[in-house]
Amino acid sequence: MTIAGARKGRPSIVQRLVGRAQARNLSCLIVPGPEVALAHGLDLAAAGMRIAATPRDAAVLVVIGALSRKLDEATAVLYAQMPRPRAVLVLGGPTPSSLPPADVSTDLSQAELIEATGRLQQALAEGAFTASPEDFDASVLQARIEYVCPMHPEVVEDEPGRCPKCGMDLVAREAGAESGATEGMSEHDHNHHHEHHQGHDHNHHDHDHDDGHQQGHAHEHARTEYVCPMHPQVVQDEPGSCPKCGMDLVARVVGADEGAAEMPLKHGDHHDHEHHEHERHQGHDHEHHHEHGQHKHDHGGHDHSGHDHGASGFMSMVEVTKDLPRSADGLAMDWIKVPFGPVFPGLPGGLRLTLTLDGDGVAEGQATSLVGMSAVTEEGAAETFVERLATAMALAPVSYRLLACRAIEQAAGLKEDPATARARACALERERIASHLGWLAQLGRQLSFVWLMRRATTLQLKTRCANREQLVAMRPALWALNVRLELTPLLKARLKGIGALPGGSHDFRGPVARAAGSAEDVRQADTIYRELGFEIRTGTTGGDAWGRLQQRLMEIMASLDLIEAGVDPGMPTLRDIGSTSGISEASVETPRGRAALRLTLEHGQVVSVELDTACSHHIGLVANLVEGRELGDALVAVGSLDLSPWEVIS
Amino acid sequence: MSATQQYLLLLGLMLGTVGVVLCLYGLARSMGPTHGEPGKDVPASAGVLSRDPVWGRYHARYYGYALLFLAFDMEMAYMYPWAVVYKQEGLVALLDMGVFLAILFLGLLYGWSQGALRRQ
Amino acid sequence: MTIAAVLLALMVSAWLLAVIEAWLSTGRLRPVAPLLAGLSHLGRESLLPRKPDRLFFETAPVLLLVVAVLGAAVLPLAPGLVIADLATGALFVNAALAYVLVALIMAGWGPNGAYAMVGGWRFLGQLIAYAMLIVMPITAVAMRAESLLNTAIVASQASLWNIVYQPLGFVLFFIAAMALAFRAPFDLPTAPGELAGGVDAEYTGMRLAVLRLARLVLVITLATATTVFYLGGWHGPLLPPWAWSLIKTLTVAVSMLLAGHYLPRIREADLLSWCWKLGIPLALLNILIVGLMILVVP
Repeated sequence: MTIAGARKGRPSIVQRLVGRAQARNLSCLIVPGPEVALAHGLDLAAAGMRIAATPRDAAVLVVIGALSRKLDEATAVLYAQMPRPRAVLVLGGPTPSSLPPADVSTDLSQAELIEATGRLQQALAEGAFTASPEDFDASVLQARIEYVCPMHPEVVEDEPGRCPKCGMDLVAREAGAESGATEGMSEHDHNHHHEHHQGHDHNHHDHDHDDGHQQGHAHEHARTEYVCPMHPQVVQDEPGSCPKCGMDLVARVVGADEGAAEMPLKHGDHHDHEHHEHERHQGHDHEHHHEHGQHKHDHGGHDHSGHDHGASGFMSMVEVTKDLPRSADGLAMDWIKVPFGPVFPGLPGGLRLTLTLDGDGVAEGQATSLVGMSAVTEEGAAETFVERLATAMALAPVSYRLLACRAIEQAAGLKEDPATARARACALERERIASHLGWLAQLGRQLSFVWLMRRATTLQLKTRCANREQLVAMRPALWALNVRLELTPLLKARLKGIGALPGGSHDFRGPVARAAGSAEDVRQADTIYRELGFEIRTGTTGGDAWGRLQQRLMEIMASLDLIEAGVDPGMPTLRDIGSTSGISEASVETPRGRAALRLTLEHGQVVSVELDTACSHHIGLVANLVEGRELGDALVAVGSLDLSPWEVIS
Repeated sequence: MSATQQYLLLLGLMLGTVGVVLCLYGLARSMGPTHGEPGKDVPASAGVLSRDPVWGRYHARYYGYALLFLAFDMEMAYMYPWAVVYKQEGLVALLDMGVFLAILFLGLLYGWSQGALRRQ
Repeated sequence: MTIAAVLLALMVSAWLLAVIEAWLSTGRLRPVAPLLAGLSHLGRESLLPRKPDRLFFETAPVLLLVVAVLGAAVLPLAPGLVIADLATGALFVNAALAYVLVALIMAGWGPNGAYAMVGGWRFLGQLIAYAMLIVMPITAVAMRAESLLNTAIVASQASLWNIVYQPLGFVLFFIAAMALAFRAPFDLPTAPGELAGGVDAEYTGMRLAVLRLARLVLVITLATATTVFYLGGWHGPLLPPWAWSLIKTLTVAVSMLLAGHYLPRIREADLLSWCWKLGIPLALLNILIVGLMILVVP
């Protein structure tokens, strides 16, 4: 028996020994994320696995539940990037279609998990090495190869062949890696690229540019502008002196496509190397690949290794950096687009945050959910709808089960039974405690605050299925956590002032809104909650990450009060609705804020639904909260929103 | 042991450590070859294949501190020999270095007042 | 003989530290954990990322291990139990550990990956913050010992440990040493929750094992340095000198780990501004106080 991701090697004694050591030292990467495992009550650490931050550090890929198509693709990438031997453990779902068959699969329960881990260890101990392992491949891993002419970069073909312009053989390169990655080019960084073309231009401005250079380049209309050698952001149409430093402005020629070059995002997209030396052929647009070809062609003796030509020409820094984006301090740097997620240790799994980094600052960013529920839901029997909605919302199943039940019962015209309603309210409050604890654990994971991560995880697992008595008994522990976090040094400095809501913002919900002082809570209007003594509490410390932490801690204690005044939590189950019809609109205060469901029932079948959740509104905040922040601060800000990608309706 | 011998010993230790690491690498290589597969060698970035190169002009936002750091680091080179003879020289040494440090400290305060001590 | 003994002590401390670290993070005490981890790394593929700076990528883990070992080589564990008692020992420790920065920048730049690169450059910012708080307190220690010989520094504390003589220097040095060891709460270059491993991110298999070993040895080296400079080195009643050195070193190393366990990661901006606006003035004050005490108290 071998595992699908076995390593190539002759299984000898040493290999067996190593395999057994690996079996006893498992590290796992969890898809979608550790918070989903905890929401299902799975404790992988207790099953003997270490949770890894990256695929490079993981030996086991743990897949929890069914994955969306996009997450399935991401899983293939993660699996491909794990070093062999690697194993797949699937819990409570089908094996993702892009992965090889699961080595071990089982259901979503802690007992099953521990048993499955045992089987996995045995499989690893025996089958970590095999003489002929199979390759893993998936369509998402393939780089598209395109063919370009070394002389005419505008010639890009999908098939190999000859250049229609000059007849040269086309050269293969990977699509999507425009610069630096081109095959047949020496590998040096962009910096060198720039300097190197720079040097080329300077050294050869008096050279006769041959035909290859001239043809295929439209001589576009050009104009001259004046820039300050010290302050590249100072650009004028007229000669004069710089308003900042008083130096004389220097002329440079701008091509007609300057507009396109003004909005660069990625270096390497635009390299129009205009120079004042080039005035003989004004507005000449060189593509850098072309330049490179020229360079080799004409000046074979030139050193490629990128020595600094900067000193050889006046205005060199201006030239080198003029196409690059500007930071707030006016410096021109390369910006890189970096994906954070969908499976990233500091963020909720399934959330893809793409940040454009300028150094370690975030120039811009946006978040998308790869697992969000689609707005259109097929019709179906009422019971199936309840189940489906509860399963889809991995991080708040009870809340959405309650929401669905409430909406359907209302549509069917059933009156609320006070005893059931109380039990349901207590179940909702219990989930709120567990969910907020889950957020605390996630915060601990993000900040390498191991104690918080472990403490909150333990409490969350205890809370999940506890009855009223057990929950009340946890009060001292929860209170101690509260006090402890207030007193933790560095924590306040880390969170204060991060992720404050933008001014004039509206339509935010749940703890995010309440921390900012807005009394937004549907529980207020609920008679059951009024009987339990609910009263709304809003934050006073402002709507930043620290305020949200305090708000959630406060809500944990408030929910505990409600449960203490109430009854044993009871899981919402759909009452018998018969074959009734009706339209209803219900809402529930989920742990992340108000969720509303509009639903049409026809003869006991759900025919149309419209769901509105808090996270759909909050995800739009991300771009605003991360812009201009330091990377760590940006991630803390996104984390403090407690986004659940499942609850983002697309 | 003479100073030369001591440095030779340290050089030997250095080579020994490198040797041990090379042995470990050799041992690891003997376990079997690395299996080349598509996507495996792309730097891991959270489930998205990002093949774009990242080398470029990096915005080091602490450059204000970095410039002051240069001044302070140079100063420290003088402080070690001074520290060794301090007790011997007594009050004179304290005054000498005190004046030097006071000037340097004023520089720090000036940089601070000009906004050098922040992330740009 | 001396060399073997010192290296053995280093390895034993690193082993114990690894066991305690695993205990803190998993809650289980397994003395074989480091061995199992080492064997696992041995059996895993050691991947090379595409289009790397191969020289930087390969050099970084080795360089980190070499500088950590060299730093430990000049620190005495007992009278005579030191590999090289250099005349410039205290300076040498500082000089060797400056290469930690070089190793991390290499590890960050080498793999051509975004997380690693941000991690590497972040550590340069971290160095700018902590470096002065390493050298300035050492200066005050050397003033008292009238020597840069590490054995002389320990001897100077026979009557009174430096932690009592210059407590301010100890606090600053201890914090700076944690930042130099880039452990939580100063794990900015590796930051699992922010950079998914950062400079560690692209290392796998044996290369990762060497890197992890180097980080452990680095913590031990810094803990030994703290012991030698502030905790009176081998001085102590009853037990033999080497035992005192080991106990003190492990205590310091474990308190470094514990601090990371109970604290969230610091912000880079805060680290820089606190070090420069508070740390450096305090370090200068420490030198002044020590200077006056040396003159006043004969």
